[in-house]
Amino acid sequence: MTVRRYLQLDVFADRPGAGNPLAVVLDAQDLDEAAMQAFAAWTNLSETIFLLPPDPGADYRVRIFTPRQELPFAGHPSVGAAWAVLDSGLASARDGALVQQCAAGHLPVTIDGQGDGRVVGVRAPRARRREPAAGTPALLDAALAGLPRGQSAPALWDNGPQWWLVELADEAAVRAMVPDLAAITALTRHGEVGMAVFAHADGLSANGDYQLVVRAFCAADGIPEDPVTGSANAAIAAALAGNGRLPGHGGRYVASQGREIGRDGRVEVLIDDDGEVWIGGRVQAVIRGSVDW
Amino acid sequence: MSRRYLQVDVFADRPGAGNPLAVVLDAGACPEQGRGSLDDATMQAIARWTRLPETTFVFAPTRPGASYRVRIFSPRREVPFAGHPSVGTAHAVLEAGLAQAVDGRLVQEGLAGLLPLAIAGQGTGRTISVRTPRARLIETADPADPRLIGALGDLAPGALPPALMDGGRRWWLAEVRDEATLRQAAPRWAAIEALAEATGSMGLCAFARADADHDYDLVVRAFVGAPAQFEDAASGAANATLAAWLNHNGALPGSGGRYLVSQGREIGFDARLQLQVDADGEVWSGGRVRSVIRGHIDW
Repeated sequence: MTVRRYLQLDVFADRPGAGNPLAVVLDAQDLDEAAMQAFAAWTNLSETIFLLPPDPGADYRVRIFTPRQELPFAGHPSVGAAWAVLDSGLASARDGALVQQCAAGHLPVTIDGQGDGRVVGVRAPRARRREPAAGTPALLDAALAGLPRGQSAPALWDNGPQWWLVELADEAAVRAMVPDLAAITALTRHGEVGMAVFAHADGLSANGDYQLVVRAFCAADGIPEDPVTGSANAAIAAALAGNGRLPGHGGRYVASQGREIGRDGRVEVLIDDDGEVWIGGRVQAVIRGSVDW
Repeated sequence: MSRRYLQVDVFADRPGAGNPLAVVLDAGACPEQGRGSLDDATMQAIARWTRLPETTFVFAPTRPGASYRVRIFSPRREVPFAGHPSVGTAHAVLEAGLAQAVDGRLVQEGLAGLLPLAIAGQGTGRTISVRTPRARLIETADPADPRLIGALGDLAPGALPPALMDGGRRWWLAEVRDEATLRQAAPRWAAIEALAEATGSMGLCAFARADADHDYDLVVRAFVGAPAQFEDAASGAANATLAAWLNHNGALPGSGGRYLVSQGREIGFDARLQLQVDADGEVWSGGRVRSVIRGHIDW
């Protein structure tokens, strides 16, 4: 048994409990893969990460596990990893940037601000539209029965996971939506991770701290509604940019997600000059301590 | 506001074998440290955020004779009593020095009243058991009962008939012919959900006597049918209900009213629970506990 530093973070959160939890094991160098997977199953969180010394060219190395498997890359674990590395002094940002080594390769991370206001951003994989399988329109109609649709047509997007993206008429329609999980499961039967709905925030909110409202349903994965979802937000940003309908200014906006299930996450989105999508947010350290495994 | 926090593994002889539990110590007010008491909404929010089967909150006792007071929350609601949270919380209280055992006993104050805990042994070999609320038999049924046949499928039955018992929560208890049959069983979730809903029960708790030369006497698998469908890693209260049923039939395994249960191996865990039926017919459910995460929580 070795005692290692441990953090349990709340990612995409302006206050504890608003975001998506993440377990972080520091000093993980002598843990083997089986032990990592067993601990990730035991925490029962959507992701548990392990920080390791990097190869040359990177500032830190992270391995990302769900309770069932290792992932090459994921948004909220990467935001939390960079935050934990800075918090614990394992690495320092140079010119507001870090390089993360993970199973998907070396990836850039941006750091803005200090202390409680620090925002960590990661570049999301490029999203592409996919052609849906035959018979989809009827399944879509069933999953969206009774919902007022927005300006753009529903579409299937792929940025690693595949998401059905559905614009609804307005913020109220998104917030009031009661998902038909059986119909969403039927829609996502070809390996899509889920369906995300979104709308531009209404006037009052748009003047406030967010410009887009998002909800994500991963019914086929046994997660009725995900609290805050990096990949879905990145795919939505790519879809909005493609339609010339980005909210906010200068390619930047903030999305609100999770309020309907007792959270209240904030995802900061940036589309840069090269068309790359960056997703980021603030992080709260909820639990600090050590782990003995 | 910073409070002491432990995440422990209950009914575990090795890390990860048991059922995880989050324990927030110092949940009550401490004016000297400028700390207020956690309110119901905050406790529920923390229990949702930890995503563990249960999160407990420890307060100073309010009733004479109690060692400490605990409130137990699942991610959805407050729970009056549950076995593994009671055992794990007692371990956390002892480790933090918030209470000391007297003559090997602690007394837990909770929504279900005062319940004694027995503490035996020291260090990593220490075991903690909680006396569980008395269970009563609701009915017995034939394995071919139309309500049961879908959930049991073609599982070869054991000696005892299926029985519905109430130990706070209701469980259908069904004996299976042997260990191998039970370990290989594939749960029939739709039928288990229908059984739970039709009978106001948690679902199906299947058990079999262990093969010879194991370090346990009984194998248990607990399939929760409603509101969600999942197999439980280690069920303190369901096992206590089962011990009462076995005792009722004069069919207790082990010796001297004590036996060991293996549960959870089919879903990646490997818990050991110690059951005891004492001379008064009271059922004690317990095991070892390991502290995995130690620290502070700021909420």
